[in-house]
Amino acid sequence: MRYKFRSALAAVLILSTAAACGDSSTGSAAGGNSKPPIGVDLPRADSDFWNSYAKYVPQFAGELGINMMPPTNSQNDVAKLVANTQALVSQGAKAIVMAPQDTGAIASTLTTLESKKIPVVTVDTRPDKGKVFMVVRADNRAYGQKACEFLGDKLGGKGKVIEFQGSLSSINGRDRSEAFADCMKSKFPGITVFAEPTEWEGAKAAAALQTRLAQHPDIKGIYMQAGGVFLAPTLQVLKSKGLLVPPTDPKHIFAVSNDGIPQEYESIRKGEIDATVSQPADLYAKYALFYAKAALDGKTFQPGPTDHDSTIVDVGNGNLEDQLAAPLVTKDNVDDKTLWGNQI
Amino acid sequence: MTGTPTVATAPAKPRPRLRLARFRDLALVPAIVVLLVVGAIIDPVFLSKANLVNVLQQQTELSLLVLAEAIILIAGKFDLSLESTIGLAPALALGLVIPSASHGLGTEWPTALAIPLCLLTGAVIGAFNGLLILRFRLSAFIVTLGMLIVLRGLQIGLTGGQNLFDIPPSVLYLGNATWLGLPASIWICAILFAAGILALSFLRAGRAVYAIGGNVDAARAAGIRTDRVVWIVLIIGGLLAALAGLLMTGRLGSVAAAQGQGMIFTVFAAAVIGGVSLDGGKGTLFGALCGVLVLGLINNILTLGGVSAQWIQAIYGAIILAALILARLTSGKAQD
Repeated sequence: MRYKFRSALAAVLILSTAAACGDSSTGSAAGGNSKPPIGVDLPRADSDFWNSYAKYVPQFAGELGINMMPPTNSQNDVAKLVANTQALVSQGAKAIVMAPQDTGAIASTLTTLESKKIPVVTVDTRPDKGKVFMVVRADNRAYGQKACEFLGDKLGGKGKVIEFQGSLSSINGRDRSEAFADCMKSKFPGITVFAEPTEWEGAKAAAALQTRLAQHPDIKGIYMQAGGVFLAPTLQVLKSKGLLVPPTDPKHIFAVSNDGIPQEYESIRKGEIDATVSQPADLYAKYALFYAKAALDGKTFQPGPTDHDSTIVDVGNGNLEDQLAAPLVTKDNVDDKTLWGNQI
Repeated sequence: MTGTPTVATAPAKPRPRLRLARFRDLALVPAIVVLLVVGAIIDPVFLSKANLVNVLQQQTELSLLVLAEAIILIAGKFDLSLESTIGLAPALALGLVIPSASHGLGTEWPTALAIPLCLLTGAVIGAFNGLLILRFRLSAFIVTLGMLIVLRGLQIGLTGGQNLFDIPPSVLYLGNATWLGLPASIWICAILFAAGILALSFLRAGRAVYAIGGNVDAARAAGIRTDRVVWIVLIIGGLLAALAGLLMTGRLGSVAAAQGQGMIFTVFAAAVIGGVSLDGGKGTLFGALCGVLVLGLINNILTLGGVSAQWIQAIYGAIILAALILARLTSGKAQD
C-alpha cells in the first residue's frame, strides 16, 4: 500500500516537472523570425492595470511589426525579474522591456545588459541606478499634484483629508506622496493631511479609514494612490458609515483616485467618487515597444517635446524619460472613448 | 534562634510568582491593559465604542485564521496555505456564480450557491492537505508551503489576475451586516472562539488534539485514532480560512487578487505571542485570541498616533517584542 502511494507520488512529481520543462521550451520558438527578437517582462499578474497592459503589449507589437518573444512575468519579485531577464537574453533577446517595481535592486542587471549591448526600456518606473535606453512613465508627481489641486479646490482650501499612500519603497509611491504633500503645503496650508501607509494593501487602507473617521468625523477628502486596490474597500467603509452620498449632499466626502480602471469610472458616474487620474496602460505598452524598436534601429532621442503630447526629459545618469500625459478624469469627461478604461 | 521560624514558615506559603504562572492563558492580559492605557493617553477617541468596535472588526478575519492555525499547531502540524485559501475560496465561489463580463468563469450558477461553494472549497483544500500529509507522509511544512503557492497561482489563473468587484449581496452580507449593534463578523468570531475553547477543553476529541500534539505515539497507544483527528483538524482549518475569506470579501467589497497575501506571518506572530507552541501540544485558544487583540490594538494605536510611514514597521516590530517580554515577565514561564 505504502509503496503504491510512493510510486504514484513519484509519477506525479515527474509529470509536473516534465510539464514545467515543456512550458519553458516554447519560449525559444520566437527565434524563427528574421527580425531581432524583443523580450518583454511583465511585472505582475494580480492588478487590473497591469493586466490591461499585458493585453495591449501583443496588440501593439503586431501593429509596430515587432518580433516579440512570449512575455515572462516576474510576479512583483525583483529576483524573478533578474532570472527572467537572463532567460530572455539566453534565448536571444536583442532588446528588453521591463517594469522593475523595486527600482534599486535592478542596477547590476542593467549593468550586465549594458555590457552585452542590449538596450533596455523600463516602463512605469525609473531605475535608481544603471543605464537604460528610455524610461516610459507617466509623470507620477503630476498624479499627486492633480489630486491635491482637485481636492483643495473642492474643499475650498480648508478641512481634513486622508491619503492612502502606496509603498514608500517604490518610486511611484514616493513621487505621488511627495508631490501631494508639497502641493498641499504650498497651495492649501489650511488643509490637514493624514497620510496613511498601506503598502498597496486594501485591508490596511480600510482599517486606517475606519480609525481616522472615528477620530475625525469631519474628514472631507480622500486621496487614494491606486484605485485598483483601494477603491472597493474605501466605498465599503463609507457605505457602512452612511457616508456614500452624492456630491450635492453636505455629508459627501470628496475622493480622488489614481489608475483609471473601469470600476473607478463606474463610481464617478454614480457620484461615489469624484475624480481619478488615468494611468495610460495603452500608451505604456505602445511607447515601450516603440522605443525598444527604435533602439534596435539605431535611433537616438533628445530631451524636448515629442509628437505624442509628452515631453522627454533628462533624468540624470544619461538616462532619458518620456513622461506621458495622464489625464484627470471627472464627471465631465468620464465617458471619453479614448480613455483606456473605457476600451476594455 | 531568630532564623528558625523564617525557615519553617517559608515553604508553607506558595510564592505568588508560581501561582501566576499557572495562568499561562492570561499572560498577555497585562500587555493588553498597558496598550489600552497608552492608547487612551495618545487619543481620547481610542476608548470610544466606535473605535474599539472598529479594532475588533478589522481583526475578525485574522482571528479566524489564528483560530485555525492554533488548533493545527496544537495538533503538532503546520498549515501555511491558509493565507491563500482566504483568497482562493471566495474567488473560486464567486467566479462560478458571476457572469464572465465581471471576470467570472462563465458558468453563472445561482448566486445562492456562492457561500456553500466557498466553504466547500476551504474544506476540500484542508482535506487535500491532509491527504498529502497523512497518507503520503509528507512534511506538513513543505506540503502547505507548496499549497500556498499553488492556491495563490490558481486564484490568479482562474480570475486572470483581476480583482472581482461584482459581488452578490448574499456574499457581502456576513462581512457587512450588524447584529444587535455589533458587526456580524464579531459575533461569528466570538461564537467560534467560544466553541473552540470549550471543545478543546472538555470534549474527548478536543483533548485528543493536545495528546496528539504532545506525543503522537503515546496518543495512538492510548487508543486515539490520530490520523483521523488530525485530518478533521486540517479540514476545519480550511473551512475557517474560507469563512475568513467571506468576511474579508464582505468587509472590503471585493476579492483582491492578492487577498491574504503575506498574512500568514501575522497569523503565526499572533499565535506564538499568545503562547501556542510551534512544537505542538501546548497553548490555548484564549491565549491566541489575546495575541490577535494585541496586534490589533498596536495597529490602531500607531494609526491614531500618526506614526510616520517610514518608521511604522520598525515601531510595530519593537512593540511586539516588548509585548513578548512583558508576557514573559508576568507569566514567569519560559516561552517556546
